[in-house]
Amino acid sequence: MITLKVIVVVAVAAAVLSTAFAVASQSFVDFLATAQDAELRKNTIGGHTAGYGLHETSGDVLDPASSSSNTASDEVAIDPDTYLRSFNYGRVSNLTNGSTVREFTLVADDRQTMEISPGVFYNVWTFNGTIPGPTLRATEGDLIRINFINNGTKPHSIHTHGIHKAGMDGVFETINPHGRFVYEFYAEAFGVFPYHCHVTPLEEHISRGLYGVYIVDPKTPRPEADEMVMIMNGFDTDFDTENNFYSVNTIPYYYMHHPIEIEEGKLVRVYLVNMLEFDQINNFHLHGNLYQLYRSGTSMAPDEYTDMVTMSQGERAILEFNYKYPGQYMFHAHKTEFAEKGWMGLFVVKDPTQTGGSDGSDSSSTRLLETKTISGDVGT
Amino acid sequence: MEKDEIHRRSTSSPSSSLQPRWFASAKMVAIALVPLAVLAAMIAFIFGPGQQFLGTGTPLPEISIERIEFQEGGRIIAYIRNTGPIDVTVAQADVNDRILPAAIEPSKELPRLVEAKVIIPFPWNEGDPYEIGVTSSDGTRFSKGVNAAAPAATPDIEQAAFFGLIGTYVGIIPVLAGLLWLPFIKRLSLQKYRFFLSLTAGLLVFLGIDALVEGSEIAAESVAGVFNGQILIVLVAILSFLVLMYASTKLGERSKGRTAAATTTAEQEEEEKVDKLSAYDDDSIHASQAKKTLDQQQQQQQQQQQHRHLVVVKPVAMALMISIGIGLHNFGEGLAIGASVVLGEIALSTFLIVGFMIHNTTEGLAIVSPLAKTKVRRMIGKIIIMGLIAGIPTIIGTWIGGFVYSPVAAIIFLSIGAGAIFQVVFLIYQGMAKEETERGGKIMSDASIIAGFAAGMLIMYVTGLMI
Repeated sequence: MITLKVIVVVAVAAAVLSTAFAVASQSFVDFLATAQDAELRKNTIGGHTAGYGLHETSGDVLDPASSSSNTASDEVAIDPDTYLRSFNYGRVSNLTNGSTVREFTLVADDRQTMEISPGVFYNVWTFNGTIPGPTLRATEGDLIRINFINNGTKPHSIHTHGIHKAGMDGVFETINPHGRFVYEFYAEAFGVFPYHCHVTPLEEHISRGLYGVYIVDPKTPRPEADEMVMIMNGFDTDFDTENNFYSVNTIPYYYMHHPIEIEEGKLVRVYLVNMLEFDQINNFHLHGNLYQLYRSGTSMAPDEYTDMVTMSQGERAILEFNYKYPGQYMFHAHKTEFAEKGWMGLFVVKDPTQTGGSDGSDSSSTRLLETKTISGDVGT
Repeated sequence: MEKDEIHRRSTSSPSSSLQPRWFASAKMVAIALVPLAVLAAMIAFIFGPGQQFLGTGTPLPEISIERIEFQEGGRIIAYIRNTGPIDVTVAQADVNDRILPAAIEPSKELPRLVEAKVIIPFPWNEGDPYEIGVTSSDGTRFSKGVNAAAPAATPDIEQAAFFGLIGTYVGIIPVLAGLLWLPFIKRLSLQKYRFFLSLTAGLLVFLGIDALVEGSEIAAESVAGVFNGQILIVLVAILSFLVLMYASTKLGERSKGRTAAATTTAEQEEEEKVDKLSAYDDDSIHASQAKKTLDQQQQQQQQQQQHRHLVVVKPVAMALMISIGIGLHNFGEGLAIGASVVLGEIALSTFLIVGFMIHNTTEGLAIVSPLAKTKVRRMIGKIIIMGLIAGIPTIIGTWIGGFVYSPVAAIIFLSIGAGAIFQVVFLIYQGMAKEETERGGKIMSDASIIAGFAAGMLIMYVTGLMI
């Protein structure tokens, strides 16, 4: 009798145990299966910086630091290559008194979902369909006329930093959906300024992407240079009032895999604006060089000769430098958290005497490849 | 046949009476399928044209990181699962909220409930805390922290032996040591014996509650909401209780029948002899007060037969059930130990091992308690086997917990164990209550039973403080 009882009890227990074991071992079977698959197909991931092991995978690679989506596509919030050196001077006409009128059109929208980091889609609010909005550029004394159209579902406005009348400040005249407004003011005081939406909740209107750069050139132009715009920004995609992504010109790591080409010895001028929401500060550090820093760009005399500038939101500066030696040089936030969430990039300094620029870029990219191969020995 | 035909005629319509029998049963099936057909049509409507009326709210993605492994050579592996209501695409991976290059296998596209493996090359440091995160295509980040990184256990001989050693120390040795309380138990008076039997029940109730709480913690921490972990625990525990209850009741009924038959025949099964309720043990002549009044073997055997029906389950079976229940509990304990070593959640200090040893020794006592009035001579082997049934699962648990940890499997084992334990406790008290009723008393008025139960739980609580 006891034998029978034991058998039944053990049988029940065994049945239950084996079921549970089957559940437990399922993951082990899966594990073995993937381990075998891995032999069949190879994708390789390595670090953007040496030190990380190289790994071959049968699956997909998640690496925003060395690849990106097709930024020319309408799905992506900006094409950082195009944006970098694009300056919008407006439709030019003259007043009877001879002064120049520059007319711009800015359309606000808040309905699109666009890619702001490889594979990450977010409901962005844009001026003219991009983040940042177009860079507006004028000369001191020009009359600026901005035709503003609100194509979104919420009230928006344009608040431009600089000198203008109270009614042109974009704060008390919020423009409702389908509304229009014409902002008109003189470009007083040369310098570099941000423009952005000033409707509350301000934090949301700015962090979603309603901002851009406005440059006023002095009447006596600055020396000829390779000019570019960099707007330091970020995105809080999970709404915890902390940014998930940081960058210059929206797409994290973009200039790491699409380095900015510059010429050895040639003056480079960067119009740098910090529009980063949520974080107290942001900064710009340049490798292998120092730059002349013109805070707010409102003076022709530099304030500092440095490789580090720290800014709070809305602060901006003009950075001027030229490289003595060819090769690849990083620039990034010297707040490493921001850097490691996407705010880093590369300048490729090319020697203009070398035809095709083969020396500068190619040798350095070969060097980068070598580094990656070396790091491969660490892993696998 | 004839009767059936008439019956059918009276219940069904005249036309159907001409139709063959299979038609009637087919009709029966069709009638049963009607509600299902309506339901199917409704579902088709909701997924089809009805979608626009009913599609309210935004379904949010959810990814659970179930397990994190730190591999030698600078690599972190996160096992993730889509536990949300919609398919997700993984966009990025990070360590300590810093975006890093990673691989995801088999694919970054995760349909519902599908698992993937995220491989992040990262030079991690042993003992440091880490937080591993993945970001879905809508920018939502999901993360899981690890208190102290420890190298992943690779299923090799060396690691298996290490876990085996731990399992032996905390599982087998203490339980076997606890079995040595048997001679002591046998020499107790009835009242004291009842105290210890009740103490066993107390120990078991503690273990059962412990298993439920432990399972609940795992469910809360590692099992995604979609699996309804906490409900699963309760359901499995109840089911385990009912199945074992059914099995033991059936066995009890059958053994009663067989005993009646067996008394008339001279030959009895060996196990049965061994199993007799108040059989005299030559080795322990002064075992129980009740037995002392009896002189003759014959007389005694008659009494046994009379009392047999009072016992719900025979002592050996009871002891076996206890050992299986404890075995399942220890399996869960082993899972926890193995997983903790791998997850770096506990450092297996000597102190901790000693704590488990003391705690688990009491489990041996629980197994031998029902055997106090049983002839032991030819049962030594069986008792040892029961000790092993209770102890060995610890080792198996550490292996599975260390090598292929699955939180869902862990909570299932723990709740089966809890159900088994409560069932045994139920049997113990059922047995005691019957005895008590026979003598005209009530178990709740027996101080030694209440005191034993309280002492049992207290012992477990105090020894549990060492873990």
